[in-house]
Amino acid sequence: MRITVCWKWVAVDGADPDDRWAGVSPADEAALETALTLAGNGGEVTVVTVGATGSDAGLRRATAVGATHVIRVDGEGLGARDVARAIAPIARGSDYVLCGDYSLDRGTGAVPAYLAAELGAAQALGLVGVDRTRVPLRVVRRLDGGRREILDVPTPAVLSVEGAVARLRRAGLAETLSASTATIEVVAGPRPAEHDVVVTPYRPRARMLPPPSGGTLARVRDILDIGAAPAHGDAVTLDPPEAAQRIIDQLREWRYLPRDTA
Amino acid sequence: MADVDVVVVGAGPAGSTAATVLARAGHSVILLERGPFPGSKNMYGGVVYPRILDQLHPEWWEDAPIQRWVTRRSTMVLTDDQALTVDFRSEKWGRPPYNGATAFRPDWDSWLASKAQAAGATLVCSTTATGLLRERGRVVGVTTDRPEGDLRADVVIACDGVNSFLAKDAGLYGEVDAANYTVGVKETLGLPKEVIDERFAVRGREGVDIEILGGTGGVNGGAFLYTNFDTLAVGCVLKLPALAAQELRPEAIIAGLKRHPAIAPLVEGGDVAEYSAHVIPEAGLAMMPKMTGDGILVAGDAAAMCLAAGIWLEGVNFAMASGIYAGEAAAEALAAGDPSAAGLAGYERRLEDTFVLRDHRKLRRAPGLVLSDRVQHLYPEMIANTVERMFRVDNPAPKPGLRAIFNSERKRAGIKLADLARDARDGLRSFG
Amino acid sequence: MTWKDVVETTRETEQWPERSFEDLIGSTRFDVHERAHIVVDDTVCRDCPSRECIVACPAKLFVPTSDGGILFNYEQCFECGTCYLVCNNEGAITWTYPEGGHGVVFKLT
Repeated sequence: MRITVCWKWVAVDGADPDDRWAGVSPADEAALETALTLAGNGGEVTVVTVGATGSDAGLRRATAVGATHVIRVDGEGLGARDVARAIAPIARGSDYVLCGDYSLDRGTGAVPAYLAAELGAAQALGLVGVDRTRVPLRVVRRLDGGRREILDVPTPAVLSVEGAVARLRRAGLAETLSASTATIEVVAGPRPAEHDVVVTPYRPRARMLPPPSGGTLARVRDILDIGAAPAHGDAVTLDPPEAAQRIIDQLREWRYLPRDTA
Repeated sequence: MADVDVVVVGAGPAGSTAATVLARAGHSVILLERGPFPGSKNMYGGVVYPRILDQLHPEWWEDAPIQRWVTRRSTMVLTDDQALTVDFRSEKWGRPPYNGATAFRPDWDSWLASKAQAAGATLVCSTTATGLLRERGRVVGVTTDRPEGDLRADVVIACDGVNSFLAKDAGLYGEVDAANYTVGVKETLGLPKEVIDERFAVRGREGVDIEILGGTGGVNGGAFLYTNFDTLAVGCVLKLPALAAQELRPEAIIAGLKRHPAIAPLVEGGDVAEYSAHVIPEAGLAMMPKMTGDGILVAGDAAAMCLAAGIWLEGVNFAMASGIYAGEAAAEALAAGDPSAAGLAGYERRLEDTFVLRDHRKLRRAPGLVLSDRVQHLYPEMIANTVERMFRVDNPAPKPGLRAIFNSERKRAGIKLADLARDARDGLRSFG
Repeated sequence: MTWKDVVETTRETEQWPERSFEDLIGSTRFDVHERAHIVVDDTVCRDCPSRECIVACPAKLFVPTSDGGILFNYEQCFECGTCYLVCNNEGAITWTYPEGGHGVVFKLT
C-alpha cells in the first residue's frame, strides 16, 4: 500500500515566527500515525510538506517515527490551491492521501479538497475514526450538529483526520539519531499565484441568524436552536406561597418532579 | 561497546560548553535535552556574566543573544515604606568585553547549544534521561524515555539541572534538605523600550540590574528587577522552608513587591508576558555533591554551583565554567583510556584551581548569612531608619551624631551588639 | 500633605486591574502530556497537618479538598521541584520529569 501524508509546519506563535516553537498540528500527527498503521509492514508512507528549510525538522521527526520517504516542496506563502498543485505530482499513485483536518495556524482547510480535485480521487474529510480492518476502508465523518456519517472509501482517496483519531508514536532513540543527519529531499515549488485564496488568521465562523423578533425567550430559543415550538403559557398574579405551589404543580405535570412528592 | 564517547545530559550552559569542548577535541558527543529546544525548561533571575566564554568563543558578544548590557547595578534595601539604594553605573560595561547582560535563557541556551552543534556534537531534544546504566559499579551510559532508548557512553556528564536525578541516582548526593534550596518566581512584563529607557535612565542596549533585600513579604529571600529590551523581569527568590511555613503564595508576594512605592512607578502598566519559576540550589559549598564518580561527572546546577552571596548572584557563569572543565577532564580521561573516577580527577583539580570552587570556598558562609533572620528581618529596618534620621532635618532640634542614631536604631530593632559583631565578622570573612 | 499620604492616595486611586492566577499562568506555554508526571498519595496527605505544597507551589497545583484530601493538577507545572522538596511526608509526592518534549516551554525568562 502506498500512502502520502501532507504536513504543514507552522511557527506556533503566529506573531513571533521562530523554528524553536514550530511544529505540526495534532491532526497532522494523527494523519501520520493513521498512515503508518494502515500501511503496516511493507507499506510505503511518504510525508510531504510545503515550506522553507525550517520544516526539515518536522520531516526528520517523520523519518524517525517510520516514514519511508520525506519530501519538502520549497515554497512559502502559497495559497491552498497552489499547495495542492505542488503536492499532487508526489501524491499521484498513492492509495490514500492523509491530511490533518486543521493546521496549527488554522488556515482555510481547503488543501485536502483541492488535492482530491487535482488527483481525481474520492474524498472523506473531517474524520473522527478510521477502521483499518475493513475493506474497503470504513471511516466515520463528523457532520454538523453532532451527527456522524459512516463511509466506505474507495481508492484512491484523500482523507483528512481530526487530532483525536490517533496519537503519533514516539520515535526510538537510534531512529532519532539517524534521522538527525538524514538528507531531506527538496523539490522546487511553484511561485505564489496572485489570484489564489488569501489565508487569514483563524476566526470562528459566525452563525447567521434572522434579526431579533418576538420576546427574549424566543430569542434565546432561536440562539439555542431549540425549535420553533411557540412559547405557551399564561400570566398569573399570585402571592409567593401560591406562586411556588403553582410552579411545583406545573413541574409535576410536565414530569420534572415525581407525582408523589409531598 | 559504547555508542558514543560521551553523553552529556542537559543542553543548558554547563552541558553545551562541555559538549563543545569534547567535540572540538575530536570526540563523539551526544547532547541530550528533555525540552523541545535548549533553554525551554530553564529560568533564572536574568543576568549572565559571560567572560568565561572568552576562551571558548572569542568575541562571543558579536552574536550572543542578549537583551541589554548591564551598565547600572543597584542594590536596594526595602522596608514597608522606605527604600535605600546604592546605585552604580559604568559606561565601560556597555562596550566590549562587557560585564553582565540580561538575556532570556531560551535564547541564550539555544545559542550555546548551536555552538556545540557547530563543533560537531549531536543535539537530541525532547528526550529525557531517566536513569544511569551501570556495569560493575561503573556508569556506562544513560536510559532515556524513548523506545529502545538506552545510550552507552564511556563518560556521562550530568548537567541535568538542580533536581539532578542522575547525580542522585549515582549516589553522589548526601541527604537532600529543603533548607538548601530557594525558589525563584518571576513575571516578565511587557513595556515599550522607550518607556523602559526613560524610567531606568538608560539608552540603546544599556540595562539595569536591581537586587533587593526585603520586599518578599517577610519570607526569607530577596527580590530583583531587571531590564530586558522591551520587557522587565520582576520577581523574588524565596527560601523553601520559610515560604512553606507562612500564608502568602509566591504570586501574592510578587504582587506586593510590584505595589511597593519604590517599585510601582517602575513596573506600572507592564503586561505579564510570561510567568515562570525554578528552584535554585542556594547553599553553595555546603550542599555540593561529589563531583566525580566512575564514568560520571556532575556540572552546573546539578552540582549546586549557583553562587547566592547577596551582593553577588551568579550561576550561569559557574555552569559554563564547570562545563568547560568537565569537558576538558573527560577528554583527558578518554585520551588516557581511563574513564574511572581516578582518570576523571582532572575535573575537580580544575574546579579547585579556578573561581568555581575558590569563590564558593571563600563565600561559603555568605548564603547562610544573607538568608539569616537578622539580615532578613532586622537589619533592613535598622539601616533604613538610621539613614532616614541621618537625612531628616528635625529643627529646632540639633543634628544628632551618626553613632548615636545607629546605636539607638540598633537597640530599637533589638539587635545585640555581639550578634552584630559576629555577622560583621562573617561578612568581612566572606566579602572582605 | 505628607509623602506617606501621597503614597496612600496614589495606591488607592491607582488602577491595579484585578488579575486572576489563571490569567497569570495562562501567559506561560505548556505542551501537556497525557501521563501525569506528579502523583500524590492522598492517603498520606489526609494526615498531614502542615501541607507545605499548597502555599509553596508557584503553579498552584495543589488544592485542599473539603473532605481533607489534596487535589492536584500536573498540567501547568513549571517542573521546578518545590513540591517534593518542601513535602515532609515520605511517599506523598512522586515526582518525575514529563515525557521528553512535553511540559512547560519557557520563552521570555
